[in-house]
Amino acid sequence: MEELIKQTIEYLKKKGVDYADLRQIKKEQEDIKVKNKNVETISRSEDQGFGIRVIANGAWGFASSSVINEEEMKRIAEKAVEIAKASAITKKEDVKLSEVEPYKDKFSSKFKTDPMSVSLDKKIELLVKCSEILMKDKRIKVAETGMNSVRTRKFFASTEGAFIEQNIVECGAGMTAMAADGKDVQKRSYPNSFGGDYAMRGYEFIESLKLVDNAERVRVEAIALLGAESCPDTITDIIIAGNQMALQVHESCGHPTELDRVLGTEISLAGGSFMTLDKLNKLKYGSDKVSIVADATLEGGLGSFGYDDEGVKAQKSYLIKNGLFVGYQTSRETAVVLNQTSNGTMRAEGWNRIPLIRMTNINLEPGEWKLEDLIADTKKGLFLDINKSWSIDDKRLNFQFGLEIAWEIKNGKLGKIYKNPVYTGITPQFWNSCDAVCNKNHWHVWGVPNCGKGEPMQVMHVAHGTAPARFKNVKVGVSK
Amino acid sequence: MKGKDKILSTLDKMVKQSKADHTEAVYIGGESGLTRYANSTIHQNVSELNSKVYFRTALGKKIGVASTNSLDENNLKKALASALEIAKNQKDNPYFDSLPPKADYRKIDTYIEETAKFSPLERAERVQKIFEMARPYKLDVAGSFTTGEVEIGVANSRGVVCYQGLTSSAINIIAMSDTSSGYSDALSRDVDEIDVDDLAEAAIKKCLDSRNPKEVEPGEYTVILEPVAVGCLMEWLGYIAFGSKPFLEGTSFIAGNVGKKMMGENITIYDDGNDPSGIAFPFDFEGVPKRKVTFVEKGIAKEVVFNTIDANQGKTKSTGHSLTPDSSEGGFALNVFIQGGNSSLEKMIQSTEKGILITRFHYINGYLDTRVALMTGMTRDGTFWIENGKVKHGIKNLRFTESMTKAFSNVVALSKERKIVNVWWGDVGCTVTPAMLIKNFKFTGKTEF
Repeated sequence: MEELIKQTIEYLKKKGVDYADLRQIKKEQEDIKVKNKNVETISRSEDQGFGIRVIANGAWGFASSSVINEEEMKRIAEKAVEIAKASAITKKEDVKLSEVEPYKDKFSSKFKTDPMSVSLDKKIELLVKCSEILMKDKRIKVAETGMNSVRTRKFFASTEGAFIEQNIVECGAGMTAMAADGKDVQKRSYPNSFGGDYAMRGYEFIESLKLVDNAERVRVEAIALLGAESCPDTITDIIIAGNQMALQVHESCGHPTELDRVLGTEISLAGGSFMTLDKLNKLKYGSDKVSIVADATLEGGLGSFGYDDEGVKAQKSYLIKNGLFVGYQTSRETAVVLNQTSNGTMRAEGWNRIPLIRMTNINLEPGEWKLEDLIADTKKGLFLDINKSWSIDDKRLNFQFGLEIAWEIKNGKLGKIYKNPVYTGITPQFWNSCDAVCNKNHWHVWGVPNCGKGEPMQVMHVAHGTAPARFKNVKVGVSK
Repeated sequence: MKGKDKILSTLDKMVKQSKADHTEAVYIGGESGLTRYANSTIHQNVSELNSKVYFRTALGKKIGVASTNSLDENNLKKALASALEIAKNQKDNPYFDSLPPKADYRKIDTYIEETAKFSPLERAERVQKIFEMARPYKLDVAGSFTTGEVEIGVANSRGVVCYQGLTSSAINIIAMSDTSSGYSDALSRDVDEIDVDDLAEAAIKKCLDSRNPKEVEPGEYTVILEPVAVGCLMEWLGYIAFGSKPFLEGTSFIAGNVGKKMMGENITIYDDGNDPSGIAFPFDFEGVPKRKVTFVEKGIAKEVVFNTIDANQGKTKSTGHSLTPDSSEGGFALNVFIQGGNSSLEKMIQSTEKGILITRFHYINGYLDTRVALMTGMTRDGTFWIENGKVKHGIKNLRFTESMTKAFSNVVALSKERKIVNVWWGDVGCTVTPAMLIKNFKFTGKTEF
């Protein structure tokens, strides 16, 4: 394979392109879903192919194929050039790329046990056991448990001389119990909703989730929600659990600091960003308690890697420092606008997709508080846990999140539970109301395996290191 | 294009080689191109040749699924063996009896050669025309334009043999000024049916008309939803209400309410994969012919779509709405239509004393309370204030949080004319929607633009 890739790069050089890179990727996946004690799905897939990205006549072209041989690689190389030349008829100026060292390297993610090597029996037994515990009460109508494992090998080569091989293993698991009593339907999830928690680790990560130990609590809380009052509409202080903080960071900081969005190239689907170039180093994005980094070097994070899909080495850089907006996630092309070099955030879902700026591990740095002290310090408010719904406007300002459960906080103590809590806000106002972030003992890297962006749609694995945080005077509910 | 004979003979050969009690093979493959533009220049121009073969095997009631995107015989055999290995290690699925039997499906022409052959240069030239139309107004434009072909084949050990060649073409155009934006789109099997001039003109007009938008406070308003906005809501009803999974799990508003009035008498919503006025696709990924399924008839909740396994659980028959073998979504509605009325967008505007005209929605989420189809989302790319029967000016975007069973009980008028609205599965489906005039639609928030 390496020789075939090198030959094609040489062929592209001879064609006289301004620049070209080639990615060849093989991805194996296994997906297990158990529903109501029955194994609903076990599927395995193997997917491989290559994509060639070129700059010719000063414009981009990209072509890809699942057929891997010398002839097809040449055909696709020529097609990418043809497409670039078609793009060039509308260009305003030539594409420029910031400098990058052409690395020759190999990166492998660290893991103890390859999740694909663990027997199906063992995985099924774990998921069915959780399902059995969840189903121990007749009011649980649907118990879903699931596990996903991915093994990826990818090569990157460029006409600048880079040649990088990366081998990455990822996995995750989770559960949801849905309770119904004929009048209402409520659900609880663990460790997170919409599939659980994921990491760039081996099966030891699945074991560390302690799914069985948490199943009974999930069941009890799902049933308790059926009898709970609806969360009152109010303006109050809220403490947001780490899992929801991950989504809050994702939607209101991760996406709006993607420089391609800021420059307009995501308008046709997900929109633009309020964090425009004029606001860099000026916007007071949040309170001084808020520092957010993009860190692709974090070991085990679902957004980690050795090199991005432009061959740029994984990095850590600040987006928000003590509340001030100080940086973007960039690519080789967009970094030129800032007279910078790329901070390495370009990734493609697979061989058949072009790299875009994607979140790596976008992390809210931990603060000083113990969670119990923070609750004790809150006279009146709500503690909110696990996302149920999410929506944000196309410049990432007005957001609304629904949660599975809220606990009332009264005089520094957790009280009764509420169902259907919703909170809403405007991004910079909201982050400026943050007066406390919990410490590193409460900090966890949440894997998000379903971040969507781009056309054709690309679903990316990203992560967010977060701890619970408190926000003052937040609008809860949608009536007031 | 590989062609019917090559695809079906490959699938048939693999099915015959299988040692499982039941074997199904599904092929999806094709070549497509997409041109994406922003700031009135092409910034992304891509092409993909790909194919995928799924195998679903069953040993008794134990099912295994595996797939590969390589058509090399060794890799196909490896995937088939993997599916069988999974089945051996599986537990019984109580709702699996057998794969569906052979059945005739409607012959529909869904392949237009001009669309399949449309080149990157032709896409670039049409996009360039949009830039030229926007330039005199000093507007930037963004959007995407895709063309491509797909072939789908299904074969199983009970004699199912289905094949369909499909083409599709879709475009969206967003014209932008410093303070406003305007949107238009189109989806068709035939690229030549996409009138770029008309679409660009519509997006440009919306952008110009909504410049310097004024702020409107959240509250309940009469709204006129253009077909694309209605399509956005329908796409979410497809996820949370019209499929077998939310029905069987009791989370759909139809579950437990069949025969009850859930929407207004003027609302009829159905799925019809055989209707060529949409994006027809006559069988599902199990090879079951699609039948017309009516979700809501004159406001009364009726039925949902099923695949074979969920139909067994629900003690009914498949309606021909299975997704690919690896999916756990159950039956899914790919071709949703709302029956039109006798009004028009113009008449709706003329009849409105005070209200809001909405081009489309952004980032809808329908998981808030699925039993009443409570959804939230933002308006986007052309939101206008109507007063005394006329569009007065653009307004800043608003957030709605509203139950769709309530909203569709408050529909005053529907347009006779319906539009094909694009969805992410635009190769095999779409929504076909009219414009709607709805009273007391609830907005719960606002934004700054």
